Amino acid sequence: MGSKRDKQGMKIIIVGAGNVGSTLVEQLAHEGHDITIIDIVARKIQAITDNYDVMGLVGNGASYSVLMEAGIEQADLMIAVTEADELNLLCCTVAKRVGRCAAIARVRMPDYSKESRYLQEQLGLALVINPEMETAKEAARILALPTALEVVSFAHGQAELIKLAIPENNMIAGMSLEEIGKKLPQRALVCAVERNGEVFIPSGSFRLQAGDTLSFVASRRNIRTFMDTFGFKSRRVRDTLIVGGSKASYYLAQELLHAGVAVKIIEQNRERCDELSILLPKAVIINGDGTDEALLKEEGIERADAFVPLTGIDEVNIILTLYAKKISGAKVITKINRMNFKSVVQSLELGSVIYPRYITAEAIVAYVRAKNESRSDSIETLYHMFDHRVEAIEFVVNEESEVTGKPLKEMRQRMKKELLIACINRDGHIIIPSGHDSIEVGDTVMIVTKNAGMQSLTEILN
Amino acid sequence: MNNAMIGYILGSVLKIEGILLLGPCAAALWFKENVGWYYLCVAAFCILCGWLLTRRKPEDQVFYLKEGCVATALSWLALSFFGGLPMYISGQIPGFIDSMFEAASGFTTTGATILGDVEHLARTTLLWRSMTHWIGGMGILVFLLAIVPLSGGSNMNIMRAESPGPSVGKLVPKVRHTARILYLIYIGLTVIEMILLYCGGMSFFESVNHAMATAGTGGFGVRNDSLASYTPYLQWVVTIFMILFGVNFNAYYFIIFRQFRKAFGMEEVRYYLLIVIMAIGLVFFCVRPMYASSSDGIRHAAFQVSSIMSTTGFSTVDFDLWPQTARTIMVLLMFIGACAGSTAGGMKVSRIVIAAKTVKKELAAYLHPKSIKKIRFEGKPVEHEVVRSINVYIITYAVVFAVSVFFVSFNNCNLETNVTAVAATINNVGPGLAMVGPTLNYGHFSMFTKCVLIFDMIAGRLELFPLLMLFHPGIWKEAARSSKLQKVLHRDKNQA
Repeated sequence: MGSKRDKQGMKIIIVGAGNVGSTLVEQLAHEGHDITIIDIVARKIQAITDNYDVMGLVGNGASYSVLMEAGIEQADLMIAVTEADELNLLCCTVAKRVGRCAAIARVRMPDYSKESRYLQEQLGLALVINPEMETAKEAARILALPTALEVVSFAHGQAELIKLAIPENNMIAGMSLEEIGKKLPQRALVCAVERNGEVFIPSGSFRLQAGDTLSFVASRRNIRTFMDTFGFKSRRVRDTLIVGGSKASYYLAQELLHAGVAVKIIEQNRERCDELSILLPKAVIINGDGTDEALLKEEGIERADAFVPLTGIDEVNIILTLYAKKISGAKVITKINRMNFKSVVQSLELGSVIYPRYITAEAIVAYVRAKNESRSDSIETLYHMFDHRVEAIEFVVNEESEVTGKPLKEMRQRMKKELLIACINRDGHIIIPSGHDSIEVGDTVMIVTKNAGMQSLTEILN
Repeated sequence: MNNAMIGYILGSVLKIEGILLLGPCAAALWFKENVGWYYLCVAAFCILCGWLLTRRKPEDQVFYLKEGCVATALSWLALSFFGGLPMYISGQIPGFIDSMFEAASGFTTTGATILGDVEHLARTTLLWRSMTHWIGGMGILVFLLAIVPLSGGSNMNIMRAESPGPSVGKLVPKVRHTARILYLIYIGLTVIEMILLYCGGMSFFESVNHAMATAGTGGFGVRNDSLASYTPYLQWVVTIFMILFGVNFNAYYFIIFRQFRKAFGMEEVRYYLLIVIMAIGLVFFCVRPMYASSSDGIRHAAFQVSSIMSTTGFSTVDFDLWPQTARTIMVLLMFIGACAGSTAGGMKVSRIVIAAKTVKKELAAYLHPKSIKKIRFEGKPVEHEVVRSINVYIITYAVVFAVSVFFVSFNNCNLETNVTAVAATINNVGPGLAMVGPTLNYGHFSMFTKCVLIFDMIAGRLELFPLLMLFHPGIWKEAARSSKLQKVLHRDKNQA
């Protein structure tokens, strides 16, 4: 019985029951996998096993005997997300030696992350994830397009999915999606709209209203056309003020400096300031308390183009965001690590919010789904949008199947409701598909859907 | 509190009981006995009630430990009620409380009976009595978990409330799979015993009954003299299986998956077997002069010891007639019980071992007041929380025991009867000493005493707290509050 495997049950061992560990448990258990979680702190294990149908084990996840007890020999996947990078790498190394499982490690120190590719190859890891770096990249993408609330990239950065709020008196309000399509010189597609807390996957006759939040997909070049056509002002960010000198701040500063944006970092710890100033010679490093109103004013929060609080405390980040929104017109991005009181946070209308724990979890969930059902296609990326109600999934089409080679309009009848084929990437060329286009082998296809848990592209059909 | 979900679980349990009641109906058809109709009626009624309660799956399926406890306690009360109903309305057992007692004794795998003569009962009823043992042994809610998909991780709270032992572990990550594995082991062992009994010359009907009664460590027999009139081979088979069903089922899981070192390294199982062997040796030493040959002596000693230790309650001789030391050993074994994670009752070997280690640690603390030492069990340090819960368990156990003995004393029986009657029911053993000895029964007690003993049986099977929770006023207040809240929400919805 124990060895019999349900259709979608992988045996997964997770080491580390922190933020990311527990988010992973939540999402992977929801997808029906057999999960064993290991942590050295009994209290954390207790809390998780009380709430989720998983097995808990107290001990050191890098130790051979603990891994054996967790059943590493039968495991399909090992995910190491403890506090320490070294421990994560060791866990994966031991796991790979003992079992035949794939291994994923979280590595976030800049020293190692530069070598992540090397580590991945040499240690035979399936995935090396760096949530801090991904957080920074996401923040940088938003800062490159400040009008957007969220920017996620697909097709190796060729296409992007942009989330926008429609302000009052914007010309797009009141237009139907068909009219929008006609107005645009190049194609862009509105994939999802949130109105009064409800999410729609809209059809052509759907009419937008002021106050809606919409997500559209377009090739990278055409995004500005869309924004300009419908009067979404987007001014460039030239300087950014970052509070907190964490790893994510470092990665973000690096990205921004690379793009030619001036960066100012306020950090409390003197030694960390020294380190940062060595690592980031072009940035202005300020030693001081980022929650000090006078200091923020002195450093020009009122005039800054962008303001990114990246402290380790969510409450501080939220307060700083609210303060910045009040006294300046800067574009603000809020980082939230622990997601409690979701409804309260949402009602604050913070604007752009980044959840590092979800970024990590999404990358791993995408990998797990792909590994579980890798037949004719595999999952390249996975994003959750609108509070997990909508999934955007990018599939790579490896083989012919019942969905390939046919014009989309022929399949339309059989396609699931609340599902949209948003874009097709053919050899680096982005196609926003119409009914005449078809899916071919070698394409990557991006699907936006409310049917959570898709594992294979063929599931778009009923 | 999630009342809707508790109702849903209760409904599912009733549905299962209704389906299980079809078992005796089939037997009635086979043996052409008319009492089958009564069973069929109750089965239909159970399924109807269950269907009414489970018509709508609640939207909010989250439930916590308190809901788990309440659902478990209510399910067991309902189980005993509906289990006793066919025996009452068919007239097989004339008194209402008596039939409730019989059903509760069956489901809690106690095996204490109020009947002096079981041989005149219809075979349908005999089969149902044995079936109640088998169902109650592993637990009906564990069965529910194995077959009904309940989403969310909180279903561990049901398992925790129903499974015996100080801490409940899973064999595999999912509760559902764990429950299935346990049931498969359970069914497997039962079938093996049945085949061995049948091969030994027992009739098919009797081997089915005895196999089920042993598996649940229950103790209802089909003959008035329990197992005394069977051949030595059959008595040995039952002896060995009684010991086996008292072993923590995790050990079997490890054996199936060829992790022999883990299976034989289980501290609790080792202590359990050690106690069994030592007790057999001592009892044999005491009763040797009473029997013609050593082989008879050892057989009777082994049978009685494993029967009491595993809290089954079968007997081959009247151990009430044994020397005082042997009788005392019997009573002490009742309290120890078998392993956690088995189908047996009692305080459980693991609790006793941890408690003994706590005492040892306390003594060491007198010697070196500042020394720090963690208690280890099964090779792992025991969390403070577990030690604390065991201490509280033992205290609560003592209190419930004392109060019950007081209530039972109203019958004006002697102290030995009162104490062993409570000990035999709260530990789910069955026979006690003196007026509740192996050859006698509980029929002579008053209605009130029987109710007290029903309470003891269910409290003992659920390990006190889930049942005691029902007596906590906070639970009822909360249930009332949330039902009021639900009504308001419902009204608001309708208005909207």
